[in-house]
Amino acid sequence: MENRSLKKVTSVWIITILVLFLASITLGIIMRFNQGTQLHLKPNTFYATLTTHGVTMIGIWAAAGLVAINYLLSRYVKTSAGLSIFALVFTVIGVVMLWMSTFAGNFHAAWTFLYPLPLAPYAAWKAWATNLFLWSLVVFGVGWLVWSVGMMAQILRNYSITEIFAWQHLTGKEPEKKTPPFILISSVSLIGIILCLLAAVVLLVFFFMEMYTTGVKNDALLMKNLTYFFGHTLANEALYLGLAAVYELMPEVGGRKKFGTTWYVALGWNCTMVFVLTAFFHHMYMDFVQPGGFQIVGQLASYFASLPAAAVTAFSVATLVYRNRIKWSFTNLLFFIGIIGWLIGGVGAVIDSTISNNIILHNTLWVPAHFHTYNAMGNVLLCLGFFWWAAHDFSGTRDTFRSHWPTLTLLLIGGFGFVLMFYLGGASSVPRRYAVYPEGIANGAPLATAAAWFAVVYLVGMLMVFLTIIRRCTKAFSPAS
Amino acid sequence: MYKSLLAGLLALTLAGPAHPDGGVYDLSEEEGLYTPIADVPLHLASDTTQLSRLYARQPVMVALVFTRCTGICSPFLLRLAEDMRALDPREKFKVLVVSFDPRDTQADMDGYARLFQLGGDDRWLFATTPQIEALTSSVGFRPTWDSLSGQFDHEALLVGVNGNGYIIRKMAGIRERKDIASLIKTLTGEFIPSYPLPGEDRLLSCFTYDPVTGVRKPSYGLLILLVPAAITFILMLWMGLASRKWRLKKS
Repeated sequence: MENRSLKKVTSVWIITILVLFLASITLGIIMRFNQGTQLHLKPNTFYATLTTHGVTMIGIWAAAGLVAINYLLSRYVKTSAGLSIFALVFTVIGVVMLWMSTFAGNFHAAWTFLYPLPLAPYAAWKAWATNLFLWSLVVFGVGWLVWSVGMMAQILRNYSITEIFAWQHLTGKEPEKKTPPFILISSVSLIGIILCLLAAVVLLVFFFMEMYTTGVKNDALLMKNLTYFFGHTLANEALYLGLAAVYELMPEVGGRKKFGTTWYVALGWNCTMVFVLTAFFHHMYMDFVQPGGFQIVGQLASYFASLPAAAVTAFSVATLVYRNRIKWSFTNLLFFIGIIGWLIGGVGAVIDSTISNNIILHNTLWVPAHFHTYNAMGNVLLCLGFFWWAAHDFSGTRDTFRSHWPTLTLLLIGGFGFVLMFYLGGASSVPRRYAVYPEGIANGAPLATAAAWFAVVYLVGMLMVFLTIIRRCTKAFSPAS
Repeated sequence: MYKSLLAGLLALTLAGPAHPDGGVYDLSEEEGLYTPIADVPLHLASDTTQLSRLYARQPVMVALVFTRCTGICSPFLLRLAEDMRALDPREKFKVLVVSFDPRDTQADMDGYARLFQLGGDDRWLFATTPQIEALTSSVGFRPTWDSLSGQFDHEALLVGVNGNGYIIRKMAGIRERKDIASLIKTLTGEFIPSYPLPGEDRLLSCFTYDPVTGVRKPSYGLLILLVPAAITFILMLWMGLASRKWRLKKS
């Protein structure tokens, strides 16, 4: 009964996320066409669209990872469909509040909503829009925090603290109780998510103290640190949730033996857990009043956070597919390409997080280039792999690749073409966050137009994925399932 | 002696403030920033031109003086000339010295330039204008005529004007060389690091700054970044211990 409820709520989650994803891609296409001068939005509308696109995308793909591990955790521990429903309701309410704040209230301080901009007296939006935006974040945060803590509590009922971190594997001896990689990565990621959501709580408390009391002014540097502690960490941990699904499902779908936890897998993910929490300092390079030591920590943590997880995962996936008979399905291809996209985007991120490069690349299209690569062609594909697998699991249909190669071709051409335009823009110093490029930036508009058309191709591919998944997910509600 | 001191104090008290409405001393370095400077006609040593023709060619640093000044104008200009020689970014901008005293003639200004050995320096332009009111009000400069001393009561003011004619920086008083260097960087489009200072009304500042030594140090605000980590650690520890008891009970 519980499993059936879990399937149902997972199906609703998948459909909700994909609907919001298609809508947010459309917003992205509108913005790129505007930058390419094919459309002519008012600047306020452009930035309201940018804000909606950014927050929705980060939110839904973090939620997608939580959906995936919530469903897959039921293989190891008892999971709660109730908590998932609770988080779903809060997410939907949060999305409605967010979209109202931006499109009805014209709030357009971007996903970063860097202090003091949301509270600025000269801001071109009404105070209620700021209130609604910040409260929408509260609603998201409460839903996901309760859900994440709930999942963590369930894991801890079956595994001790040392076991969730797989420390018993670090000795090199065969442990009495093994920690599956899925439990290790889920735990590491959930702890990171809980931590960054708590950072958001502190940030929002400071915002509200200034908004609802008199005489309180916040420190801009502290607020920026908290914003990126929350935002950067959430975006990274969301990726790791997708990887947890890959570790769990990729060998299984490919007809191979499951991945095991070895000392280097345990070490790699423990390092990632620690370093990813301090990597956000690389967003503060331009804040020269930040203590110098933190800037160095930011650069080193950016290397150390990404390298262990990337190396261990790339090695594991390579050993799985190299000279091995593996059953390729659409799920596995999405996982495999998603890993490649994550690694390419990761390299772009590490290049940008190096201080000497960041001075040049900081405000260019290189930044959206790398994060769109590891999201649109990384985490999205990893989670989509899970969605595809789950939809087939719910409907009892066979997951094959044969009839879906046009979909994959569209996703590949559209996705990589789209991010390539960002990289080319970044490499030629086209600035980011411009609604319209001034005349002096010759490359900006044509690259934006090309990117928009590639995104249209990607959108068509996603629509095809969506239609297949929705047909299968609805089977979860049929009495026979 | 005692009586004369008392009388002097009494006279000062009765006289009241020289500028009850603030006068020249309400000069603000922020007022009028990023607004256009008045495009006034200028009489130079060699010809007559518009201010806009000057700033269209290169950014302009405008200094407002008057030649009969017995106060700040001479030390201000002397110091500025020294700083310019030391910093020396030639061909990048002009220094326009304009008299705000309607009595000053072009000959007075030429003499003033020679006094500071700047007559032959292409970077320096000494000018008068028939529309000085428009110029001074556009930069927020309010000299007050003191008939007793026969002098203008005024502050030294240096104004940075970019290639579009916008006031991008104002500096009041005789400033240190590093400030002039910063003004030059602003004019020539270089990056100027600036950050709001942590005021007393700020909640939990991340750093402290001593304006005398120029030293900044990490402050208590940074400890706030440990709060989410501390709460998560306590939460995990509590859940871990609670679930251990639960597992023991179950087994």
